[in-house]
Amino acid sequence: MNFWEKLSHIDRRWIYLLVAIAVTFPMLVVIRFPVELSPEAQKLYDAVESLPDSSVVFLTFDYYPSTLAETEPMSIAALKQMFRKDMKIITMTTIPLGGPSIAERVTRKVAEEYGKVYGEDFVNLGYKANYVAVLKGMGGAIETIYPADNTGTPLRELPLMQRVKNYSDIKFIYVVADNAIVDYWISIVNAQYGTPVGAGVTAVMAPKMYSFVESGQLVGLLGGMKGAAEYERLVKFEGTATRGMDAQSLVHLLIIFFVLVGNISFLAMRRSGKEARR
Amino acid sequence: MRTTVPVVIAFISGMIMVVGFFFNPERSFLGRVEEEVLQWVTIVGGFTLLLGVVSIVRVNSKVVKQKKAGWIFNLATLISVFAMAIPSMLPVTKTSNLGSVIYSIFPESWGSLFGTGTGSIYDWLFNYLDAPMMATMFAMLAFYIASAAYRAFRARNAEATLLLVTAVLVMLWRIPMGEAFLRLFSDNIPGYINSYIMNGVNVAVQRGIIIGAALGAASMSLRIMLGIERTYMGKG
Repeated sequence: MNFWEKLSHIDRRWIYLLVAIAVTFPMLVVIRFPVELSPEAQKLYDAVESLPDSSVVFLTFDYYPSTLAETEPMSIAALKQMFRKDMKIITMTTIPLGGPSIAERVTRKVAEEYGKVYGEDFVNLGYKANYVAVLKGMGGAIETIYPADNTGTPLRELPLMQRVKNYSDIKFIYVVADNAIVDYWISIVNAQYGTPVGAGVTAVMAPKMYSFVESGQLVGLLGGMKGAAEYERLVKFEGTATRGMDAQSLVHLLIIFFVLVGNISFLAMRRSGKEARR
Repeated sequence: MRTTVPVVIAFISGMIMVVGFFFNPERSFLGRVEEEVLQWVTIVGGFTLLLGVVSIVRVNSKVVKQKKAGWIFNLATLISVFAMAIPSMLPVTKTSNLGSVIYSIFPESWGSLFGTGTGSIYDWLFNYLDAPMMATMFAMLAFYIASAAYRAFRARNAEATLLLVTAVLVMLWRIPMGEAFLRLFSDNIPGYINSYIMNGVNVAVQRGIIIGAALGAASMSLRIMLGIERTYMGKG
């Protein structure tokens, strides 16, 4: 077995070890390269900034705990921007597994920093089954779909919800998601009711969403942890996404290195195979 | 009868949604009917969740009873289901009938442990067990992707080489270090990747896929409404 063959059959545990080192190294040594802004993130930020202060907006927590590293920093940055502008925020989720808990935990934590009051400045609607019906139904009246908030308080008892009947009272919908729900916010809510929608999604989903940004159906887009780091930079605070960019950078570089080494050994073996056949 | 009734229900429900789309729910009878049907859908959706729980309990308890291989994991599933579900469904105050019974036995301060609010048992289990476990499972993908990239991502032909080069460029563009590296060659490279790869080639391909999938979904919906497609009833 020559060198290239040995290299191509390397024990996968060595690869795992290198990935583990690449992830943990930035925890010990801060490298911190500046995060460049993409036009899509800038557009999303500008869209929220251009809304009048005290506007009522929707912020959705449509993600599972598995993608918290990518999506939660987006939610936190969005909340900071919105609360800073004194916006009234209605949160909801189409994810039964933990969605309402994540929304509750994140929103209350950020709201506390800004001295916001539940029921007046923000409301958590929680979860309701069958998202297509939920999204469509709220176009008529939110109260028909959510008679009460996440804690069971009737909506009519919450001062913020007394001002809001349906999408016509919502100035902007900020979707943070790790699944295909963004498509429905676009096709049901944006297309049928005209409410502007912006999205923060996982890196895997981002390529699909570019087509909606191009068509104007999404006003802006955040893709993965890099998108979250961009938004943190725009909102001017350093959160977990900015700190996580070092680890993500090293792992990306490591994977590129693996791809290159794998291909060099593949080409070398193919050449030596051809020579052997001659 | 067992076939005709579901087909008629599917047709009427589908037609209400299609026709209702064109009417304002506040100003027309059809719009109001559509709104009513949507409420039904969320209620039926709630019952399907219950059906899911019943199914999980039935399947897993059968395995535990018969002590089949790996029954301990099925038992863990059952315990997890009840540990999450029961405390979250218990009333947090004594205002309801069930609440008055529970808080005549237990102190009222226990109310904070029930429901789904901050500090409840459900909240604790979710934040400290469920969320970290799901995040761990997802994080492990990085290790598998690295290993797969090393073994399988090969420039075997022109198409694979094109894919490989594009992937490397996009991966570099998505990280601050990579972007700084690309700028060493030209300040315009990150912008070109965004304009030509992500907003150019990528958008063209994604639109093709989205339009194709939408047409497929529309034709499938039509087949279900007209009773041609009956697999949802367990028929071929």
